[in-house]
Amino acid sequence: MTFSLTLSASDLLLLLPELFLTLWLCVVLAVDFSFKRVVQEQLAYLTILGLLVTLACLAWFDMSGITGTLFGKMFVVDRMAIFFKAMILLATVLVILLSIDYVHRFSLFRGEYYFLVAMSALGMMFMASANDLLSLFVTLEFATFGFYVLVSYLRDDMASNEAGLKFFILGVFAAGLLAYGISLVYGETGKLVFSDMSGATPTTGLVIGFLLIFAALGFKIGAVPFHSWIPDTYHGAPTPVTAFLSIAPKVAAFALLLRLFLVALATFKPAWALLIVAASILSMTYGNIVAIAQRNIKRLLAYSGIAQVGNVLIGLAAGTKMGSDSILFYLLTYLFANLGAFAVIMAISNSVGSDEIEDYRGLNRRSPFLAFAMLIFLLSLAGVPPLAGFIGKLYIFVAAIKEGLYVLITVGLVNIVVSMYYYLIVVKKMYINEPLDSSPIKTTGPLRAVIYVGLAGTLVIGIYPQPFLDWAVAATLMFSNLVGPAAAITPPVTPFGG
Amino acid sequence: MAEYTLLIILFAPFLGALALIFVSNRQVSLVRGIAAGSAFVSLAASVYLFYAYDSVKGGYQFIQRIEWSRQLGISLHLGVDGIGTPLVLASGILLFAGIFVSWHIKDRMKEFYIWILILAAATIGVFMSLDLFFLYFFYEMSVIPMYLLLGMWGSHTKKYLEMTDPEGLKQRDSVGFIFNFGANSKEYAAMKLVLFLSAFAVAALMGILLIYKFSGLNTFDILVLREKAHFSGPLATLIWLLIFFGFASIAPIWPLHSWSPVGHAAAPAATSMLHAGVLMKLGHFSIIRVAFEILPETTRELMPIAAVLCIFSIIYGGLVAYYAKDTKYVIGYSSSSHMGYVFLGMAALDYISLSGAVIYMFAHAMATGMLFAMAGWVYDQTHTRDIPSLGGLSNRMPFISAAFVIGCMASIGMPGTVNFIAEVMIIVGSWNKYPFQVVVAVLGIVLTMAYLFKMMRGLFYGSMAEKYSHSHDAVAVVDRMPLLIMITVSISFGIFPGHLYSVVRSGVDPLIARITKVVPVAELPMNIPQAGSPTMPLPASREAIAKVTSR
Repeated sequence: MTFSLTLSASDLLLLLPELFLTLWLCVVLAVDFSFKRVVQEQLAYLTILGLLVTLACLAWFDMSGITGTLFGKMFVVDRMAIFFKAMILLATVLVILLSIDYVHRFSLFRGEYYFLVAMSALGMMFMASANDLLSLFVTLEFATFGFYVLVSYLRDDMASNEAGLKFFILGVFAAGLLAYGISLVYGETGKLVFSDMSGATPTTGLVIGFLLIFAALGFKIGAVPFHSWIPDTYHGAPTPVTAFLSIAPKVAAFALLLRLFLVALATFKPAWALLIVAASILSMTYGNIVAIAQRNIKRLLAYSGIAQVGNVLIGLAAGTKMGSDSILFYLLTYLFANLGAFAVIMAISNSVGSDEIEDYRGLNRRSPFLAFAMLIFLLSLAGVPPLAGFIGKLYIFVAAIKEGLYVLITVGLVNIVVSMYYYLIVVKKMYINEPLDSSPIKTTGPLRAVIYVGLAGTLVIGIYPQPFLDWAVAATLMFSNLVGPAAAITPPVTPFGG
Repeated sequence: MAEYTLLIILFAPFLGALALIFVSNRQVSLVRGIAAGSAFVSLAASVYLFYAYDSVKGGYQFIQRIEWSRQLGISLHLGVDGIGTPLVLASGILLFAGIFVSWHIKDRMKEFYIWILILAAATIGVFMSLDLFFLYFFYEMSVIPMYLLLGMWGSHTKKYLEMTDPEGLKQRDSVGFIFNFGANSKEYAAMKLVLFLSAFAVAALMGILLIYKFSGLNTFDILVLREKAHFSGPLATLIWLLIFFGFASIAPIWPLHSWSPVGHAAAPAATSMLHAGVLMKLGHFSIIRVAFEILPETTRELMPIAAVLCIFSIIYGGLVAYYAKDTKYVIGYSSSSHMGYVFLGMAALDYISLSGAVIYMFAHAMATGMLFAMAGWVYDQTHTRDIPSLGGLSNRMPFISAAFVIGCMASIGMPGTVNFIAEVMIIVGSWNKYPFQVVVAVLGIVLTMAYLFKMMRGLFYGSMAEKYSHSHDAVAVVDRMPLLIMITVSISFGIFPGHLYSVVRSGVDPLIARITKVVPVAELPMNIPQAGSPTMPLPASREAIAKVTSR
């Protein structure tokens, strides 16, 4: 293969969001170093400004249809990459808003915190564009690198250090598996770019190689049986980092999974569908059942996150255009509900100083707004209409039933009921039980902003999902050649013949 | 304006709930005003709907269709037929009455009204949905407000749920079903209700998804599926069973009923009213709308299941109600028993009996609404629902006790109340097909008399304990109005059932004609012999129709 090392201006244009963000991060770091008096809030807003400009740039790409590939197809800019990058940037902006009050708890390096968060976001943006095995490895490690530091940012807190160590050791192990898998696949096929691999013959080495790659990506999304790091890391990490960890790496890893399974392995679908179905059933069932026993809200959301990933995997198991639409759409609904829930957790933790579910007693009397917001977010995660999560779940189920995945859908439906139990236990604490301490809970501006964004996203997508569905459908046009039922393309029959 | 009637009925409570969010809890009269105002708008529009519905034309009317999702083939497709119209009216009446029944709630009043408005609006949404997706959407949406209403404003069921049989042995309602291990807290009741209903709702959702897939039409629209989708064989049976039992759990059919009386007992009065009055009818209505419309053949084959189960509903519910000591538990089990009559009316698949079943749903909403409102009033005054410890309250509350007698009479089906019409139609209509069930149903009426009179005597007559001497009657207009509304509706439709009957018949006729492939007798010229009517024994039902239609 040949790399064209000369970059023309139009090539640079494709890299514009990433290049701009890189430069902006240097500026942030320079400001932090040079002006010792700069207040860290200002640094946060400076970072957010850069992220928003990048987001605007992506919006321009999306609207004017700028797409293309770079570096011998290693780096691809298509509408799906743009969709994922937009989600990652949105999550990062919200996480930085979440962090503003929290950063005071760090004894050192408050400025670098924002740099590290945005740098991880940059890594994940590259992940969304990775189009061959090498860039997959490099971008994955680039994105994870920032998280290793962020998870253990509370230097004096044993739990945070433990979380960081666990995350690091298992993360490095996963990286080893990934590198080994890539070497096997390359050895068998002699190809690196996903789209070149589609005609490969399935040999034992190739199968093992892809299994190893799937294991490494399964580690990133936290699917059972690669989930073991999730509860302790979520529990011990600083809460805004947990929020970041609970959504952004999953989003980015799903971009890679989609490219890997629906582009490189499209022809082997019957073989890997079974693997995904198994991972999905295990994740949903294990996550939901273990979540019932949790007493800490961060651990509860960790296990519920495992279950949610199981739900998303249903869409991957369907393996069609509609399945990929449903994954994009579901992740969008999950982003709003999950980050909103973490904003409420932060507000309570800032005021009460604890994350135990017991401390949510009587929240409705202490702060009706926070209780209502948490209710909406949890019910959206549970999949109750008219909230976004319900549409997301339904879309995934419809995509799966078109492929005839009846067992998987049955398990998914039963799991909705199971998950409703533990979400409602939190609702019971908030609404039904009387508070032990009835002092009102104050929320700060940035946290309120995140909660409002979360509420708006959850309610608007739930009540009028059409524009978001259109966006997701347009983002995955590259998969429209996948074998699927003809009904997916024909317009629905209407009673008036329209 | 008229074409937007359904949107007004549906969205007035939602907008009321939305407006309430921005009102402070301290502005009590404003909160009450918004709640009552939005409920009144919805009620007025549903009264208009009921009288503007053209029963000669029949079919689905006031249709609204708003494209909602192209990819999934979903549109907000609203419309009512003769079956939905009276149920929308019943929901409107019970919501309006429920707002006044809960007029004196002190704790978090604003939130109470928000949730009750959402609950009622979601219920109304099911009755007018012509899209399977939105039917499920509103159905599931009505469950969560129940959790909060029960949990936040409900009352613990304490030891009331224990029953003593004639030999003095303590009994518990353990025949019911799993999960019935007798905890006594409102949290338990609320959680049980939500999990039970959600578990069966997802079964129904599976059925809906299977309809979506195997129809191959890429749409959730009931009107399209009704015309173009055909299911047969084991698949049709599976879908029908999922739909039937998924929705029958909320009806609640025996043995899926055990969440219901416990939920009634824990719920505040207005919630019980809506729960028993309209929420339970979601089950029957959804079965009619989905299973009857889309799977007519399978319905004809499998509906005997309902005919068997309804016997247990009627007798079991009646017996438990007889031995129960908690007022709301008695009314709750009586509701569950009376829903067996609706299932009997549905199972017979006859013009008269199905019309009777629909009118019974309407009638039962009024009767049970009254009883729950008054049980709530008695509880507010005496702080107990334990029948043995109460008594002689008619001295203190003459209005309530008089209204309670009327409520009991309506519930039993005295001539002069709309319940009588409905019961007679169910009994007459099912006689040809299910004579045994009809005998059981008539015995069930006797049983109803027994437990309602027993409760009436226990509450209002006999000697009164000294500690209840400070309890008050309902004197204020706001307290009497809800009861008077429901009594008026029940009696006036009992005396003049003509319009209600013709509206219901206009919805039932095409449905039964599709299922049984028999054209209604009254519409046939008498000299043409009946062709292609293999299933129906006609001559007897012709007389029956002639009897009822000449009323």
